[in-house]
Amino acid sequence: MSEHKNPAIIGDLPSSQKGKSGSKKERQGTNVTGGRFYAKLAWTGIRNNRRFYLPYILTCAGMVAMYYIISYLTTSPILGQMKGGGVMTSILMLGCGVVFVFSLIFLFYTNSFLTKRRKKEFGLYNILGMGKRSLSWILCWESLIISVLSMIMGLFTGILLSKLAELVMINILRIESDFILSISLQAVVDTTKQFMIIFILLLLNMLYQVWNSNPMELLHSEQEGEKPPKVNWLFALVGIVVLAIAYYLAVSLEDPVQALLIFFVAVIMVIMATYLLFIAGSVALCRLLQKNKRYYYKANHFVSVSSMGYRMKRNGASLASICILCTMVLVMLMSTSCLYIGMEDSLRERYPRNIMFDISGNDTDVSDSEYARELRGLVEESAKEHGETVENVLDYSVVDFAGYGAEDKMYLSLNEERGFEIGSTWQMFVISLDDYNRLAGTKETLSDGEALCYVSKVVYPHDTITLEDGGQAKTWKIKKQVEKFMENGVDSMQVMPSMYIIVPDVGEALAPWLDEVKESGSMLMQKHWCYGVDVDCDDEKQEIIFNGMSEKVQALTERMTEENGGTSPYGYGCECVAAERAGFYELYGGLFFLGIMLGLVFILAAVLMMYYKQISEGYEDQARFEIMQKVGMTKKQIRKSINSQVLTVFFLPLLAAVVHLAFAFPLVYKMLILFGFVNLKLLIIVTGICVLVFAMFYTLVYQITSKAYYSIVSSL
Amino acid sequence: MSLLEVSHVKKIYTTRFGGNKVEALKNVTFSVEEGESIAIMGESGSGKTTLLNILAALDKPTGGKVLLDGQDLAKIKESAIANFRRDHLGFVFQEFNLLDTFSLEDNIYLPLVLAGNGYAQMKARLEPIAAQLGITELLKKYPYEVSGGQKQRAAVARALITNPRLILADEPTGALDSRATDELLKLFGAINMAGQTILMVTHSVKAASHAGRVLFIKDGEVYHQIYRGDSSYEQMYQKISDTLTVLTTGGERA
Repeated sequence: MSEHKNPAIIGDLPSSQKGKSGSKKERQGTNVTGGRFYAKLAWTGIRNNRRFYLPYILTCAGMVAMYYIISYLTTSPILGQMKGGGVMTSILMLGCGVVFVFSLIFLFYTNSFLTKRRKKEFGLYNILGMGKRSLSWILCWESLIISVLSMIMGLFTGILLSKLAELVMINILRIESDFILSISLQAVVDTTKQFMIIFILLLLNMLYQVWNSNPMELLHSEQEGEKPPKVNWLFALVGIVVLAIAYYLAVSLEDPVQALLIFFVAVIMVIMATYLLFIAGSVALCRLLQKNKRYYYKANHFVSVSSMGYRMKRNGASLASICILCTMVLVMLMSTSCLYIGMEDSLRERYPRNIMFDISGNDTDVSDSEYARELRGLVEESAKEHGETVENVLDYSVVDFAGYGAEDKMYLSLNEERGFEIGSTWQMFVISLDDYNRLAGTKETLSDGEALCYVSKVVYPHDTITLEDGGQAKTWKIKKQVEKFMENGVDSMQVMPSMYIIVPDVGEALAPWLDEVKESGSMLMQKHWCYGVDVDCDDEKQEIIFNGMSEKVQALTERMTEENGGTSPYGYGCECVAAERAGFYELYGGLFFLGIMLGLVFILAAVLMMYYKQISEGYEDQARFEIMQKVGMTKKQIRKSINSQVLTVFFLPLLAAVVHLAFAFPLVYKMLILFGFVNLKLLIIVTGICVLVFAMFYTLVYQITSKAYYSIVSSL
Repeated sequence: MSLLEVSHVKKIYTTRFGGNKVEALKNVTFSVEEGESIAIMGESGSGKTTLLNILAALDKPTGGKVLLDGQDLAKIKESAIANFRRDHLGFVFQEFNLLDTFSLEDNIYLPLVLAGNGYAQMKARLEPIAAQLGITELLKKYPYEVSGGQKQRAAVARALITNPRLILADEPTGALDSRATDELLKLFGAINMAGQTILMVTHSVKAASHAGRVLFIKDGEVYHQIYRGDSSYEQMYQKISDTLTVLTTGGERA
């Protein structure tokens, strides 16, 4: 491109401030060189405003790089080779979409900031006789230069970092791979296409703005809007109320199933309230402080309070955006890293033992049958064949069925169809007191009509429990609700709450209904015999042992079926955690990885927004502080006042984000429960670390940008 | 003793890359008595603004002395200088220099608030001044809502409210239309009659013709001065015009 070929000419170009004579000189060249002249003007414009353009180009490049990396990973051959790499691929594609939409919105925001700065220059060109057509040419060149620069830089960084990202991903997903630096052409093309769309939209927007304004407007556009902020009490009030409701919703929620739904409502409400409070609430607060004359007319407060009102009026929206971005980053980081770190717990929750057998059948009592005895033997035998012994044997019987809860009654659905309403549907388990005492290591006793009870996910507030169906009902008095006594894979898989009823004799407790299903062959209520063991060896060996076991058990089941005259009395299922682990790592690891990537994108955005805020504030404050100095404010007072204002503006979003996070915490916890995550302590620690790391990063950014701010303000 | 004594003040600027030295003030000597009203005139580049900056303690002279109430401005410590300026000097600028984030009232209070005064005290002080300047009705308005003349009157109120020893005015009528200029000069006259010392730097013959004494600066020196004596504004105007003509055509000293 021409502007790169001839640096000598570029160097000689006048700056925009002295643009008057320069433009005239340049204009003579128009007839001769045409496009090249516009290109030069565009390049000068960018160079002279590099304080604004450099971070903008860097951000564009950052977004491009991020997009390329994610899009590269979706095409990565490693994922293709991976067992069930599909989950990760679709998670990453989702990430691509998010980055694209976010880049679009965010680049529009920053671009409008830049355009506002450049308008004065364009107004000058316009007055000097440059038509709108020519201005458009300059804009086109400018966009071209910026987009090409940021695409090249972005793709370059993206390609360099993509291998790093891939290594991180491989590590997170625990897969093995060789190290080859490769470039995905498809990802390059895809990235280029997507960002070209964004850049073209940005250009169209700028052209629209230039075509729709007259030179005087262009010249004065920077000084627009210095009216004192109007207080919108209604908005401020609505903001407080909405925020209070959202917080209340988040904190008061009991049911994790609802958490998912409420979460979205609460998120939208919080976003709305944040904007209202930052825009209207902050101004209202400043006004209230101003009305308090004893507070207001103090040397420390006087200047700060009055200019804060203006500052918030101008910056409320972007500060709110920063706040929301911060909250998003924090929630995302904390939840995905918790899921990832707590994954082994969740796995154990879902698969209580390394190898699990689940035999169902209503005809007889399975655990005492010939079949069960033989199966136990086969399992031990298979382990021995590979030189391992089984340990931590889990061996119990349970009857499960669905219940439709209404107050203290559970309606079974053996006869009538009942509507499936999330929230009122329960997974019911009935287990014998003997099994319970054995598993939990307790010596509980129950008298007639009494039961022990364990409820997961929700709170059950009643003292009795009644089962009812087909005109029959049974009621137990709940002697006490017990702590969790054993893991059950079924419970952690479902979003419904579960209830365990522990009674002395399961057969007697459910007698009428068990007889009914035995006769009808219905699967709506089933007796299960669960048998699980741990083997202490690595995943690969576990799988081999498991395969041996399941072959033998399969053979056994077939024999039993033959003996029974062709129909199997038992349903039979088995699973091995080793075989499932990869899938878990893929899902949770994928989410974690995406959390980190998007976190980076959002942080990048927040940083740039803050930087621009500081710079533009700096220019506006410069004149103000000059006056204050003349009127008799000491340098020290000025510095103090600047400090307090900048600090407030800067850390307000972070503070609000942390408060949001604190209130979102119970909600996030309940949602994580749905993913089988129950380790509250870990969640608190991880959240703390996330906030700490983020705050440190934030402070670092503050120090860098406030330097830029001071250098502008203190040039007086 | 005079209120302000300027003796042999000299100011040399060195350009950034060394070498070139520009002598803005060569040797300025004059004094201001309490209650006087003085205008300093001169062409652009004659050193007027440099002189004013030195009087305001915003800049330090290369040589010579400035004494305000017998106190050497150059000897005031850097940390105390802002306070000194606030307590002893009042400023009126061409561009008003009102802060647009404050209402007129708050703009006027600014120096007092910085000095740590209470609201009731400030209000009591403001009332007579606002009445004198005719801005009582405007106090709650913001700078963008009022005219240039009104802004300048608020700026004068801000300068007066600290009861300064000396008011320094830099082209106070420069940004005003002729009606507002007349009003402001009348106000300056009234304030001066009440005993306030005023020192004004100006281009405007009209503004200068209201002063009790006019100093002319040329090439960094006091070139000439005119006392009003018993002259009317018109006669004063004529005298100043004549002097300026001599000054610009480079004639012999009058």
